[in-house]
Amino acid sequence: MTDAKPTRQKRRWGFYRWLIVLIIIGNVYAARAFAPIMPHVQVPAEPLAGPFTLPLIGELYLTNTLSSLLVADLILILMALSVRLATRKGELVLGGFAGAIEALVEGIYNLVESTAGKWTRQIFPWMATIVLLVLVVNWMELIPGVDSIGSFHEPHAGLPAYETQTLFSIGDFDVSTVTEEVEFEGGHDEGHADSGELHSDETHSDEVMAGEAHETEAEHSEGEHMEGSSLVGFTPWIRVTSTDLNFTVALALISVVVTQIIGLRALGPGYFSKFFAFRNFGRMWVSENLGPFDVMMPFLDIFVGLLEFIAEIAKIISFSFRLFGNIFAGSVLLFVIGSLVPVLVQSGFLLLEVMVGLIQALVFGMLTMVFMTMATQSHDDHDDHGEERAEAHA
Amino acid sequence: MEEAAALAIANGLKFLGAGLAMVGTLGAGLGIGILGSGAVQGIARNPDAAGAIQINMILAIAFAEAVAIYALVVAMLILFVG
Repeated sequence: MTDAKPTRQKRRWGFYRWLIVLIIIGNVYAARAFAPIMPHVQVPAEPLAGPFTLPLIGELYLTNTLSSLLVADLILILMALSVRLATRKGELVLGGFAGAIEALVEGIYNLVESTAGKWTRQIFPWMATIVLLVLVVNWMELIPGVDSIGSFHEPHAGLPAYETQTLFSIGDFDVSTVTEEVEFEGGHDEGHADSGELHSDETHSDEVMAGEAHETEAEHSEGEHMEGSSLVGFTPWIRVTSTDLNFTVALALISVVVTQIIGLRALGPGYFSKFFAFRNFGRMWVSENLGPFDVMMPFLDIFVGLLEFIAEIAKIISFSFRLFGNIFAGSVLLFVIGSLVPVLVQSGFLLLEVMVGLIQALVFGMLTMVFMTMATQSHDDHDDHGEERAEAHA
Repeated sequence: MEEAAALAIANGLKFLGAGLAMVGTLGAGLGIGILGSGAVQGIARNPDAAGAIQINMILAIAFAEAVAIYALVVAMLILFVG
């Protein structure tokens, strides 16, 4: 399955296949010892720190999607630095990682050039930035530990709480794993009397309901460990940035606003005649013999201009929800498959997510490019910029 | 007891609604199927144009797929929010 094609006559019993077998066995063992549980699916990002109060902006939280975006930025900067180092060596042909980046950037450049024509220099930076950023952000979903390494805190009412078990400690720092999800409602916990007492504190007393601990999937494989543990809430440190609508909407806004700016630069104020199509309307009053169509068309033009406005807003919505929906659904799919069949099956879905992440990054960048190219081309046939469009097509 | 039953029914209806929302993916599936068939026919007739056809196909698939993604987001909002 994972074996490389034998390149020599003698089959070499290489090192990697044994490593893979070892990993599979370790996987089976780990899945038996600590049965994975379905994590809590939550649409808004979890705050890690905060709120910080900033002037003019107000309260701000450091969410786990923001920290993930910072990591992605760091990865991108490191990529750029490594390419810079490689080019500084003076070799004409880049090899290794820098060569791969070169091929990627060149591919994107050729794609932009084939579509955008003479506006390539203006459009390429936006397209390449979006593709690279979204690609890195999306593929962070595949790294083990994203969405699953985090810190414990006091459980909040309404959110799930977890049983934990300490694995080992480094100094005073305990490394624990979650063993079971318990629905925490802020009240006394009859199933686990001792842990219930610990957290029936005043902060949640306003939301106390008739507390009954529903144990989801009552698999007591770790039954004897539960006495010493207490209920905790869990916040992952890093969560895929694309699963936060703030990120996708921000990116879509940047894309659409820059599209308007590029259109304005290409066509001048005439760009806005796309939205305010009053030219024929004005002509109607001065022209003499009017047919029925000459009266109807100006109003149709104005209506079409209104539709163009709506199309710009729809662009923002479809950009943001496409990326968010795909990656969020992918994350949830990985959670569910990982908790249902923890061994081997998830690898296939990881492969699927590699494809989805790549395609969504490409689609976001390519749609941005196409919209920007469309904005540089004049809408009206009678426009002064007609020859410019012909040039772009040539 | 009455309240608990009503809550259970409301919960069940939530799942039902999420399932019904996903019916919206039907159109996207059909659309992507038609797109793929058209693209493959185009490539078979003119293999040289494969690159351009693929790019346009992926773009069009993204548009068709967006509808399914809206349905998915609605289903997820029903399930996980509120």
